[in-house]
Amino acid sequence: MNRVWIFFLILGIGYFLYFQFKANGISFFEWLKPTDRFHQSRLVAVLLGLDDQAVNELLTLYKEEFGNGPARYARRTYQKWKSGKVQPSKQTYERFLLKLPKVMTYDLKCEVLRHFMEEYTPKDEFELDVNVDDWEIKLTPLVEQIIEKAYTAQLPAEVERKLHWLGEGDMIAAQDILRASQAEEGKIMVSLLREEFAGVEKLLAEEDLKPKIGHVLKFPYGTIKLNIKRK
Amino acid sequence: MDDDESIELVPKKRSLFPVSAEDIVDNALQSLDEGQARRVTEKAADEIVRLAVEKRKAEYRNSAAQEEMHNLINNANLLDQQVSDYKINSTFETASGTTNVEIKKSAFSTLQIALLAALGVLIIIVAYLSLR
Repeated sequence: MNRVWIFFLILGIGYFLYFQFKANGISFFEWLKPTDRFHQSRLVAVLLGLDDQAVNELLTLYKEEFGNGPARYARRTYQKWKSGKVQPSKQTYERFLLKLPKVMTYDLKCEVLRHFMEEYTPKDEFELDVNVDDWEIKLTPLVEQIIEKAYTAQLPAEVERKLHWLGEGDMIAAQDILRASQAEEGKIMVSLLREEFAGVEKLLAEEDLKPKIGHVLKFPYGTIKLNIKRK
Repeated sequence: MDDDESIELVPKKRSLFPVSAEDIVDNALQSLDEGQARRVTEKAADEIVRLAVEKRKAEYRNSAAQEEMHNLINNANLLDQQVSDYKINSTFETASGTTNVEIKKSAFSTLQIALLAALGVLIIIVAYLSLR
């Protein structure tokens, strides 16, 4: 009888501790989750991080290819696959990332490629203090570096090995187009920077206000945080 | 501004504008069949259109942000004259990213608060010493 009580006591303490740790963001089962960023489940999560329109297109294709039942389950579960709360099975991975690409439109495949390139290419992060006189000198080399990065962005070999369709045939041309496009996007972003800083200068010129100004430039392959001071 | 023209914010080489879709995919097309080549050419043309739209959006965001910043200056100046204690946090979506502006005015300056705190500590010490 005593043993039964001890068993329930230990069970109760364990149950209490588990929820206390969980409430503080510590999970006992965290180590069971795959940490490999190229793991099949992670690749599915990245794919489902596409914008809503592309995900809807994917789920429609999924229904056409694999039927109503699996499609219903996918629509119900994809948010959990995306967040990592539920691990997709090998079959789900194969359906989404090996079978569906065969029936995807070229546009959709290019969107998937863009998304994977942006997700897996290492990003540069900079933070610097600038003032209205020196921002251009300090910022120019960093902007050039990040924009140039688009021309050399490459999918990791591990991703290309697993998703070989991303690096075959007309997808090689797609990579070239996307690189040029992403670099151009960066150039468009900074093309009006002088005008933007003219506005900031006006604000900083208001001596009574003493404004604190920060600016974040977010490129496909990097971020620059600026703390802008008067002088 | 003219003196600054020598400083280029963006690299000059390899600009997509006004490069045509054919130029971008010239090399890539050689190893593709007719169907693939057509898709690639269409994609390049689509990207050029998308970038043109992005450029317009950036211009729009820029002019909207300039106007918002101008309004912020006016409002802050107005508030500054009427109120002794306020805080404004503003975020603008600009062509290049996001600008955050914080303007605050406190009835007590940091120096005044520090002096008051020091005075408080002094009173406590004097009280402690005199009651000992």
